[in-house]
Amino acid sequence: MKRSVHLVAKRVLLPLVAHRVLLPLVGVACVLAAWEATLIVYRLPAIVLPSPWSVAATLAELAGTAAFWRDVGVSLYEFIAGYTLGVVLGVAIGMLIGESRHFRMAATPVVELLRFIVPFAWIPLTILWFGTSYTGKILLVAYAVFFVMVVSTARAVIHVEPTLSRVGTMLGMGPWRLAWQVHLRAAAPMLASAARAAAAIGWIAVVAAEYIGASAGLGLMITNAATSLATPVVIAGMIAIGIVGAGVSACIGLLSRAWLDYR
Amino acid sequence: MARLPVNDMRTAVSDVVHAGELVVDRVFHRYVVAGRPTEVLRDVSFRIAPGAVACVVGPSGCGKSTLLGLAAGLLRPSSGNVSWDGASVRIGRNPHLGMAFQQPGLFPWMSVRQNVAIGLRTRGQSRSDAWRIADEFLDTVGLTEFKDAYPSHLSGGMAQRVGIARALALRPRLLLLDEPFAAVDAFTRLKLQQEFKTLLKLNRPTVLFVTHDVPEAIALGDVIVVMSQRPASVQRILPVAREERDRASPAYARKLAETLECLGVTSDIGDQETQ
Repeated sequence: MKRSVHLVAKRVLLPLVAHRVLLPLVGVACVLAAWEATLIVYRLPAIVLPSPWSVAATLAELAGTAAFWRDVGVSLYEFIAGYTLGVVLGVAIGMLIGESRHFRMAATPVVELLRFIVPFAWIPLTILWFGTSYTGKILLVAYAVFFVMVVSTARAVIHVEPTLSRVGTMLGMGPWRLAWQVHLRAAAPMLASAARAAAAIGWIAVVAAEYIGASAGLGLMITNAATSLATPVVIAGMIAIGIVGAGVSACIGLLSRAWLDYR
Repeated sequence: MARLPVNDMRTAVSDVVHAGELVVDRVFHRYVVAGRPTEVLRDVSFRIAPGAVACVVGPSGCGKSTLLGLAAGLLRPSSGNVSWDGASVRIGRNPHLGMAFQQPGLFPWMSVRQNVAIGLRTRGQSRSDAWRIADEFLDTVGLTEFKDAYPSHLSGGMAQRVGIARALALRPRLLLLDEPFAAVDAFTRLKLQQEFKTLLKLNRPTVLFVTHDVPEAIALGDVIVVMSQRPASVQRILPVAREERDRASPAYARKLAETLECLGVTSDIGDQETQ
């Protein structure tokens, strides 16, 4: 009995701990060590590059303030609204492009041109049109997300296994049902990975827009801290951006896994 | 003389039209392959009487699957006409139709049972009816214990059986089968062939059955349509008599030799399966 407990610990628990906890910690430790080493080698003052420990302390301090959570909330709100809008519109238009040859012919030049105008090129215009309000940022995120989703959806729908379409028709499905029940569903794995990539781009777009003109949000928090040379706050803010972004991506990954449970 | 289930159209073109009759009338079909038009079917004509089983045999790549696509309304012939119930086959939905494809084309996001039931649902059956019928047909193809599995967990032969169950569950008036037993092991194939014959007696659909297996064609067909090389036309139409299905009989051996000869295979390997 005791031996079997021992075996479980050795064969199951140990590798699990090693893989899920130890290895990620090793990765983080390497980065922290490089950071610390840079400080020592170049003798940088705290105002240029603060130590990891003071940044951690600042982050903990920030997490205790309402203002920080308001900034996180604003950025997340802008992101979620824009992301949802971009995904819904992007999948819808992508479906149309994939399903209808006529629509594809009409839409392709517009899509191909616009998708190379990076979201950041739109920031001056959004400020001109919408000021520092949420609307400008929401639209910017939607724009960034939209093009990722349009292109992936259209491609996925066009490449759905032709037999599946034939089977759908044979089973009595009309064009709408075929699009909705077969093509969209068959495209799901590609859409899920596109949705994750789009989330990263959308989150970057929010923060970038806030850097340049905003009344609240994590991007603004960082620019404000930088103008008053509060370097630990800048870096703590950056880390917060990374953590929230990774969290968002993980949530989308979980959602899509539920959708793709058949694999 | 008794009317054969299948007549050569060249001898009887505009006969009286029967409900449940499939007529292929001077069909030509061309594809564009790598920018070059390729002729697949050249002047193919035959008809299948209501409730008859026609097995199409021919060299691989001769356009047998194309023929099924035309009969299913998935393709439009380059010229000529395919008609069912006396009217040209419509492109798109055809509620009289059930088809099993060579690659079964199961929906990977649906369980086996849902895959069989979805066509019944699309055609307006209630969910409980659809599931009951799906379960029945999964039982016939011997997959009851896999009804909750997803297609990614099935072997090729099992997936093909689900495809057959899905086509049969629709209880179609016209049943099109594209080498449905090809990926199934020999024992299961024999069993399925027998069960298939019993199932056909239930609602007597008209059947167009593509196979490369001549013994299978003799076992299942009322008539064998022998196709030539591409561009394919109908080489011969051979009726199969009941006594010719008995694999131990000399009549069977003669039929096999005759069919193989039409296919250009010498008959001294006549007691082996082609391919």
